[in-house]
Amino acid sequence: MAQSVSIQLDDGRFRVEGWKASPPSDLSSIFQVFAGDGDVPPMLGSYSLEGHSIVFRPQFPLVSGIRYRAVFAPPSATLNAGRLERVFDGPVKSADGPATRVERIYPSADVLPANQLKLYIYFSAAMSRGDAYPHIHLLDEAGQPVPLAFVEIDQELWDPSYQRLTVLFDPGRIKRGLVPQQELGMPIVEGKQYTLMIDQHWRDARGAPLANEFRKAFRGGPVDRTPPDPKEWRETAPRAGTSEALTIDFPDSMDYALLLRMIDVAGVAGMITVDRNETEWLFTPDHPWKAGDYRLVVDTALEDLAGNRVGRAFDVDTFQPGSHLASAKSLTLPFTVR
Amino acid sequence: MPLKMLSIVLLTAAIAFGATASMVDGKADLKSAGPLAFGPDGILFIGDSAAGALFAIETGDTAATKTAPAVQVKGVNEKVAAMLGTSADQILINDVKTNPVSKNIYLSVSRGRGPDATPVILRLDFTGKITQVSLDKVMHSSLVLPNAKTGERVDTITDIAYVKGNVIVAGLSNEEFASNLRVVPFPFQAADKGAGIEIFHGSHGRYETASPVRTFIPYTINNQEYILASYTCTPLVKIPISELKPGSKVKGTTIAELGAGNRPLDMVAYHKDGHDYILMANSSRGVMKLQADHLEKYQGITMPTDITGVPYQSLADLKGVKHLEKYDDSMALVLADAGGSIDLRSIPLP
Repeated sequence: MAQSVSIQLDDGRFRVEGWKASPPSDLSSIFQVFAGDGDVPPMLGSYSLEGHSIVFRPQFPLVSGIRYRAVFAPPSATLNAGRLERVFDGPVKSADGPATRVERIYPSADVLPANQLKLYIYFSAAMSRGDAYPHIHLLDEAGQPVPLAFVEIDQELWDPSYQRLTVLFDPGRIKRGLVPQQELGMPIVEGKQYTLMIDQHWRDARGAPLANEFRKAFRGGPVDRTPPDPKEWRETAPRAGTSEALTIDFPDSMDYALLLRMIDVAGVAGMITVDRNETEWLFTPDHPWKAGDYRLVVDTALEDLAGNRVGRAFDVDTFQPGSHLASAKSLTLPFTVR
Repeated sequence: MPLKMLSIVLLTAAIAFGATASMVDGKADLKSAGPLAFGPDGILFIGDSAAGALFAIETGDTAATKTAPAVQVKGVNEKVAAMLGTSADQILINDVKTNPVSKNIYLSVSRGRGPDATPVILRLDFTGKITQVSLDKVMHSSLVLPNAKTGERVDTITDIAYVKGNVIVAGLSNEEFASNLRVVPFPFQAADKGAGIEIFHGSHGRYETASPVRTFIPYTINNQEYILASYTCTPLVKIPISELKPGSKVKGTTIAELGAGNRPLDMVAYHKDGHDYILMANSSRGVMKLQADHLEKYQGITMPTDITGVPYQSLADLKGVKHLEKYDDSMALVLADAGGSIDLRSIPLP
């Protein structure tokens, strides 16, 4: 092989330069690029000839921390002669922004029903998928982990931006009459103190650990098997000509995410917020209220903290007459602006 | 080509025409590659949770093989990562499926672990060679599942299967605790709303909850099509497919109750020595072999005891199994984590 043959990496493309022989039709038979060491298949990508250069364009962008091994082995080469190998490092990581942190967790109250069903963990930036559960710990009063508290869903229930993870307490331990419930009881016991701890080693989408550990302390409250009843909600109508918020106050905390989505004011554009440990729903109109009659529309799939829906308990006791109220898909609550 | 094989190919091509007539050639614009299922004629269904959609692609992989050679690929995650130019900790293998006709093995993979991860479909042949299934230029069709995505809400597709002209899709919402099973006719019809079916579970005839389905397999009992489904709250149930009508409310019949912390991950149904079995990979109790003879006689479990229902045995030597899949009539495929290195191998059906 002529001395001038070399392998270059520029602009994410690997090229063999200075080889003057006539190339075979299958360029991958003489030039391959491998990611990392070991006995691995070559990288996926496409080949082309540019003048006398053989160019390999990887299908996926190169990443930092990987050593890329480009191997040129023309037909005449043997293991000891004529074979050219060059190793390149992946691009240097661009300057990192601030470390990702847990911003908040819902429910925000510090007393949760023993049959609490869900948690929402909000992060300041996108997280990585596939390794969530080892980093979520429910600790008892002695700081010991409560085993099997959560149901681990392999896919992990992220929002599209990977900034919110939904975690389900094991429904098999919450629902009455199932083996897990009888073997282990509910994950949370009334009157006991708990800490939900998110450890720092959880990686964000850039592969960096969290800024710090996050802890939320709470106490176990009584089991809640009462479906939310709109008759017990208190609506406060705003005054005409103002942009005051219309509010609904609930006797108990409701599911944060569902409050943002399942109650609306028919025909009025505005912004929904949730306050007071998810016991208050506020609707601020885009334009001042006009005097008149309005309707709140409530999707009956709205849940409280224990997964009880409007008109239907989480686990309906079918032996108890009246425990399963017939419920429409939605219901309306009228109010008047004066 | 021998005449017999030629006639099989021609027959296959004729059947394929109906399914592929609605397909278009071009880029299958997946946002994510999740659960896989094979339909007729090498058609591969891909659940795409990020797009809230179901894709069907024509693999062209239709040459029939009855028995497959044993397969063993150590460090399949490392090999796949290297092909994709990254490290093993930056890919996720989301599902493994065998093409029931050719016995080639398909993997759905995420390159990257964040929201910008790239979906990749790979095929592993008998020689152990891994090749990419092109999504850029492929005959395909897709269906956006109604109400699968709204703002922060996503229905994560947890499992899919093809049964006689329909794709059954199990989804799990990241907000409301509700079942969301859809039956989508294939070829996809633009007008089809794929309406959800509410699935309930009654424990011992008394307490009834909405019960999302985690994983399921199609299953035939006495010529009637069922799905055997595992609920998020752990029981294994049977549901007649004839009951899965859009907008309906269905209650599964419990055929087994599993203990605490048991998360069924995957199931394989098979027939051996005159008996029916189900092989089930679990999160904490390893792999279980359930005796599945005469499931038609099961009237459901009415009294809670410990692990109850159909008889089962645990297979202690199968550890770290993440995916389980039927390979051929006598073998299953397991994708198992051996301390960070993920191995894909065939095992004889026990």
